[in-house]
Amino acid sequence: MSELRCIVVTPERTVLDRQAWFVALPLYDGELGVAPGRSPLIGRLGCGELRLETGGGPERYYIEGGFVEVLNNRVSLLTERAVAAGSLGEPEAREALAAARGKLARSPEQMAVRDRAVDQARAQLRIAQRNPK
Amino acid sequence: MAKARALDRRRKSIRNIRKITRTMELISTATFRRAMDRALSAGAYAERLAELVGNLSRSGLAPRHPLLEQRPEPRGAALLVLSSNRGLCGGYNGGVLRLAALRWKELRSEFENLRLEVAGKRGVAGLRFRGIDPDRTFTHFEDRPRLDEVEVLAKGYLEAFGAGGLDRLEIVYTKFESLSRQSAVSETLLPIGGADRGEGEEEELAGESGYEFLPSAESILAEIVPMSFRVRLFKCFLDAAVSEQVARMLAMKAATENADQIIAHLTMTYNRARQGQITNELLEVISGAEAQNK
Repeated sequence: MSELRCIVVTPERTVLDRQAWFVALPLYDGELGVAPGRSPLIGRLGCGELRLETGGGPERYYIEGGFVEVLNNRVSLLTERAVAAGSLGEPEAREALAAARGKLARSPEQMAVRDRAVDQARAQLRIAQRNPK
Repeated sequence: MAKARALDRRRKSIRNIRKITRTMELISTATFRRAMDRALSAGAYAERLAELVGNLSRSGLAPRHPLLEQRPEPRGAALLVLSSNRGLCGGYNGGVLRLAALRWKELRSEFENLRLEVAGKRGVAGLRFRGIDPDRTFTHFEDRPRLDEVEVLAKGYLEAFGAGGLDRLEIVYTKFESLSRQSAVSETLLPIGGADRGEGEEEELAGESGYEFLPSAESILAEIVPMSFRVRLFKCFLDAAVSEQVARMLAMKAATENADQIIAHLTMTYNRARQGQITNELLEVISGAEAQNK
């Protein structure tokens, strides 16, 4: 069976480059599962959990925004931030959520910024709860 | 003995300087490795992004975005100069500043409203010396510029560009081409030029189109263009940091070698002076003894 090659890059470094037989990634409006042989795709990523099913068991990462390109069984994710799911702490995520909720928003742009921060914090919290340290 | 002692003292002080330059060379070699890795991975990111933009434009969609368009009557511009905080890095800052002063003059005649922003203490001091006062200075970028620090800058520029106060952004920095080649260049970051975006790959991948877009090609383009600007800016900072380390490495290596040469030379002169003194003293003793014999 052919495998997928999953590459995650952030502007600071290449976080991940490995084989997997299934990849689930968070798009802007929900999760997308990619299996080998998927047709080419370019999509916008949201904040959430990237899940890889590899030979060595599942691996989980938290990613934040960016883009994904699927071509010839290669899944490249360009994202601003990518960390292993296990390294997110629940208390920190809760704090971030409270801080994001407490932000003042007086103009549409500020509202957009706040909503984005809240979304990110929620996604972090969700992943932190699901993957305790 | 006076002269020989003075020579010995000089030799000692040069040995001490040699120790310092040698250490600085080693330090910048280590920092350089790290900086280089970062620059390379940012390069990989930028390449992927350019590939994506190329694929997008091949899908029959003309890339149209405010950031890509030349303004008909440009008035406001900004010149960003990246230099280092510390000296002792050879011609690194000199090259950047020479080009920056030149660009500053050229842009001044083109734009009514020109702002100068300088990163690095050396650049600020150097430009002030040339009689050019920067409008804004940054000194918090060290040898490892962080993405979120650069992001703040990028956001400011994007906002100013969107609001219409800024029609062009130029950056003067040292581009890292290879280990033996870094050159001061000036590039236009905003508006993003159409020429250098992923045209190289056009032919290789031409056969593979028919992408599925989620949500739509337009909205992806709307997000990807500002992102590619941010990444380019970040890449410039990383390049400048790598070039600085390389420049310092070479300068310190040359200084260490120089010190070695001077030490060798001084040692020789010192030995000769010592010998000369001994000979002198011997001669005095002998001639004194002979004088008594007569």
